[in-house]
Amino acid sequence: MAKTLLCEIVTPERIVYRNEVEMVVAPTPDGEIGILPLHAPLVTLLAPGELRVRYNEGKDVEWFAVAGGYLQVHEDKVIVLADDAVPSSQIDVERARQAKTLIEQRMAELKEQPSGEADTVESCIADLEWCEVQIRVGERRG
Amino acid sequence: MPNLRDIKRRISSVQSTRQITRTMEMVATAKIKKAQERIESARPYALSMMEVLGNVARYVQGATHPLLEEHAERRRIAIITLTSDRGLCGAFNANILRLTEGLVKQAAQDGAEAEIIAVGKKATSYLKYRGVTPVAEYRDISDKPTFAHARAIAAHVIPAYAEGRLDAAYVVFNRFKNVAEQKAEVHQLLPIERRVVQEEETPGPKPEYLFEPSPAAVLEKLLPMYVETLIYRALLESAASEQGARRVAMKSATDNAGEIITTLTRSYNRARQASITNEIAEIVGGAAALEES
Repeated sequence: MAKTLLCEIVTPERIVYRNEVEMVVAPTPDGEIGILPLHAPLVTLLAPGELRVRYNEGKDVEWFAVAGGYLQVHEDKVIVLADDAVPSSQIDVERARQAKTLIEQRMAELKEQPSGEADTVESCIADLEWCEVQIRVGERRG
Repeated sequence: MPNLRDIKRRISSVQSTRQITRTMEMVATAKIKKAQERIESARPYALSMMEVLGNVARYVQGATHPLLEEHAERRRIAIITLTSDRGLCGAFNANILRLTEGLVKQAAQDGAEAEIIAVGKKATSYLKYRGVTPVAEYRDISDKPTFAHARAIAAHVIPAYAEGRLDAAYVVFNRFKNVAEQKAEVHQLLPIERRVVQEEETPGPKPEYLFEPSPAAVLEKLLPMYVETLIYRALLESAASEQGARRVAMKSATDNAGEIITTLTRSYNRARQASITNEIAEIVGGAAALEES
């Protein structure tokens, strides 16, 4: 019986993580999902949130902030296609906070003066969520 | 007789030009490498994405999605033109603009309107010169394209296509064949070609996939991302091609400058020789005149 699965976290710009792990816990729109070896083939959407992997007989855990995307499980291989992903050790909480303040200001401006472009507000919300996820994961694990 | 000082001045001017072109050539060579690495690191995502898309499509038989549907009539098309921000890169931009022009003409013949999304300063200034207003302009991204850029560009065409305001979308870019060669190409973005989601039937048992929340919901998100990935890839290829084209252009400029310097040096020496000979002749003539008297 296979004891590990290959976990690959890729973003459009690079491979963030690639390792043999024992368990992957990922955020989905309907709640967290845990994947162990021999999991049935699965394709799911990812929600922005915290993704963790366990390895070395459950002793070591690594955390990642992910900004949504997909996850596919196929024959003990987990591919995470994230819009963006950062390992918790590399999150710059201070910067994320500053970015968050900036985005909030921008959103307030947009609310007062709707520029008629709906997608700018929408993209602000997505960015804001991403900043919040980074802050959350970074504070807890950093 | 050519003036010695003029020739000398020209030689030094060509020499400094050569120095500049040589430096640009070296800078471009260094940048190609980085750009190529960026293409390489985008590949895993694109490949995984194709795999997932293929799997999903198998389960959503006869998948229908606004982005997959071909519109009966072509009234309005969008062309995304990827050029560079800076010149001095040979025919790089000219090829792209010629292809774009061809597409616009073709569209006009078919009775369709074409809107242009201009990426790069060269496209903007060319369109301005032709009196065409692009629907969107982007600049300063050819140096280091990011996925966010691709997403912003895609936001112009995806909703418009889904709502029926657009009937097709193309991207015109330079494909990076190798460091010395790039080819201007037109790729269709929308409608998404059917073969992308039609997996050829493979014999044997197929894995039974679970979908969360549902196959249709996954497809719904996956297709726009596919388009974004295509645009991102085009941006990366165009950036690498730009540096490749610049390197080749600058190399031949450096070689040409070298040739001009050789020719100029030759005529400089000839002129110098001529003036010396002249002087000797004058002295000899003067001495002879003195002796005679």
